[in-house]
Amino acid sequence: MAVAQVKRIAISDSPWPWLLPLTALLVVFTIYPLIYNIWLSFHEFVPKSRGLKFVGFSNWIQLWNDTRFWSALGVTFLYFIVALTIEIILGMSIALLLDAELPGFGALRAILSMTLVIPPAIAGMMFLLMQDPQFGVLPYLLDQLGILGKGTPILATSSLALAGVLVAEIWQWTPFMVLIFMAGLRALPVEPYEAASIDGASAFQMFRRLTLPMMSKVIAVAVLLRGIDLFRVFDYVFVMTSGGPGTSTYTVSLYAWQQTFSFLKWGYGATLSLTSLVIIMVMANLFIRIAKVRW
Amino acid sequence: MNEHDRKAYLASVTDRFVRGEMDRRSFLRTASKLGLGATALGMGFGNRPFMLNKAFAQEQLAPSPDVIAWLKDVGKPFAGTTLKLATESTPPSNAINSQLKKYFEEATGIKVEIEVLPLEQVLQKLTLDVASSLGTYDLYYIDQSWSASFSQDVFDPREQIAAKTELAMPNYNIDDFLPALVDGISKYEDRWVGVPYDIPIFIMIYRKDIYEKLGLKAPATFDELLTNSVAITKEMGPTTFGYAGQMKSGHYALECEWTSMLWGHGGSIFNADKKFVGNDEQGIKALEYYTKLREIMPPGVDGWTWDGQGQAVAQGVAASMLSWGEFFPYFDDPTQTKVSGLCEAVIPPQPIALRKPEECGYGEIPGVGHQGGSSLAVSKYSKSPDAAWLFMQWATCADTQALITALGGGTGPTRASVYDDPRVKANARVGAGTTRHLPVVRETIAKYMGSEPDLPEWAQISSDTIPVGLGKYFAGSYGSPKEAMDDIASQIETVMKG
Repeated sequence: MAVAQVKRIAISDSPWPWLLPLTALLVVFTIYPLIYNIWLSFHEFVPKSRGLKFVGFSNWIQLWNDTRFWSALGVTFLYFIVALTIEIILGMSIALLLDAELPGFGALRAILSMTLVIPPAIAGMMFLLMQDPQFGVLPYLLDQLGILGKGTPILATSSLALAGVLVAEIWQWTPFMVLIFMAGLRALPVEPYEAASIDGASAFQMFRRLTLPMMSKVIAVAVLLRGIDLFRVFDYVFVMTSGGPGTSTYTVSLYAWQQTFSFLKWGYGATLSLTSLVIIMVMANLFIRIAKVRW
Repeated sequence: MNEHDRKAYLASVTDRFVRGEMDRRSFLRTASKLGLGATALGMGFGNRPFMLNKAFAQEQLAPSPDVIAWLKDVGKPFAGTTLKLATESTPPSNAINSQLKKYFEEATGIKVEIEVLPLEQVLQKLTLDVASSLGTYDLYYIDQSWSASFSQDVFDPREQIAAKTELAMPNYNIDDFLPALVDGISKYEDRWVGVPYDIPIFIMIYRKDIYEKLGLKAPATFDELLTNSVAITKEMGPTTFGYAGQMKSGHYALECEWTSMLWGHGGSIFNADKKFVGNDEQGIKALEYYTKLREIMPPGVDGWTWDGQGQAVAQGVAASMLSWGEFFPYFDDPTQTKVSGLCEAVIPPQPIALRKPEECGYGEIPGVGHQGGSSLAVSKYSKSPDAAWLFMQWATCADTQALITALGGGTGPTRASVYDDPRVKANARVGAGTTRHLPVVRETIAKYMGSEPDLPEWAQISSDTIPVGLGKYFAGSYGSPKEAMDDIASQIETVMKG
């Protein structure tokens, strides 16, 4: 291309030369895989013929009748709700506590961010060891507190396994909420608080009437980001329980991965992934509307 | 004494001397008889006593000059070729990848790229390779349960030997592979789907010191295994338990251990009509037995695969396990475990009854010695099948297998002659990489080996349907073994229907 042509494009008013690289990346890495996934959900890999066979809606019908999928969806929702609720409450509480310029708080804030750089699989391994019924610190503490019997295998007990996985999740991601909430708290204006203080408002009233309304957008963004991540949970479950015992910690992502890569059911795996994507999109858009999040 | 035997003997003598099991005078006398003086070996006593051992070990573990000469001769036309192999992390693949392939590459000029992956990823890569016929991988690592699926995608090694005599390795001796392994791992109908490459197999490993202390004999039957394990847990628990299992819900490990119990109680997974029969009378008895055994296992066993099981024995938490023989050399390593020299290996417990292979479906062979072997084969889609064939012969010849066994920490060879190789026998002493358990492995392969059925749905059944169902049972989700096995049976029926 001649230099003159390049110059002409560079100084033109058209946005397309500048949008083109990003559009190309989106098409290659997002649009095409999405369309391919939709196409794949109407096909299935047949090991004997070594090829994909058109199966119409059978993968979607199978999904509807698949009790494992519904069980995994239930587990995913439970995980999502419990983790998000605890992370928001704990995150906000810690953020309020740390929102002060006291000696050592700077270091504390820095330490908090350290959990975020640990890969989730490693965090899962750490908590797997910490929950070992024989030498793990968590069963020991719970035994000392009289909450669990000695040697209770948390991750191998149906009623406790999901809680065992959630501990790792909450430990690692609550600091993320803390950091976001703290950034929001630091940006709040001081005048409303001064006025409320003169009017004799209590700390709780100030939090409820001022902090929460003014922080609503920040909270909404945090909830949206964490919510999407939580619905795709895979690492902790894979490392700590492999979905067990039985199916008590089986999530949709783990199920989709297993169907796709372990059993080579590429079509059904695509159907599961698409379903997960649709649920996330619907939930996220509903939330954006309800919370009136503006980007 | 030929050169090979002389070196092997010297290695053994040196090993004993360095370990303090032989005095200096005896060592020097023996070494001089073998024609190697201390000075000639570059050894200085006193200050660097281990240098000789290391230097000699390296010399000892080099491939045979004959093999290298053959590789140089036949490999010339293929210099510059690159071969690819996707494999699970197994002792042979790891030993070849980290220490041995350099000899092949130097001699032939052929570059070998080995991708070490989790088993399901190997299956995925091979499936994609055969589906596309691209020949991305020249060599296929084929798990024993995939033989049927890939039987038409690889060369039958017997045909390769006959078709290209100029590329056939002298003394390769394909008949040297243990017949039970050829039948159980590498054969589908009349075709050889490669040659036996790796043979992890269940043997009985127990703590001899604990057994002796409590006046117990090595468990020869399932009843003895249970009563011994109960006695140990009662006497030494909760510090030490009688038995450790591999019972992680939803993991293939649980299915492996369960099949051993099932086969040992006269049951089978499928009957001759290809119907799941794990819920028949024998199947229920097996699960009842497994349930009783679990009661005396350490807490947390429901979260262990074979790794947790091995760790339990290695750390002295459990006194016995029926598991992969590959653990044994690890247990003998004093730098890694608390039980070096304290464990013994014996054949698996004798079955209460044993169903005949012809009464089972999909090529299932009942036997308490559950095997998880694999084959190595040349892909029909390879762009360099001749170079791949050279590599395959080298990787599975007796000389390389002996080196793999010595370097790979006492893994079980797939060739009969390697069990008698002096280099392998020289390691039959207490210590890291011991081979003292290999006679038991060999006997188990010959007499007690059990092989899983071979069908396309087996990956899902063995890694999900059965271990998830069993996991639910052990977590208390079913009222009885019968209810659990019936549910598993109905789920398998659904899987089989597609």
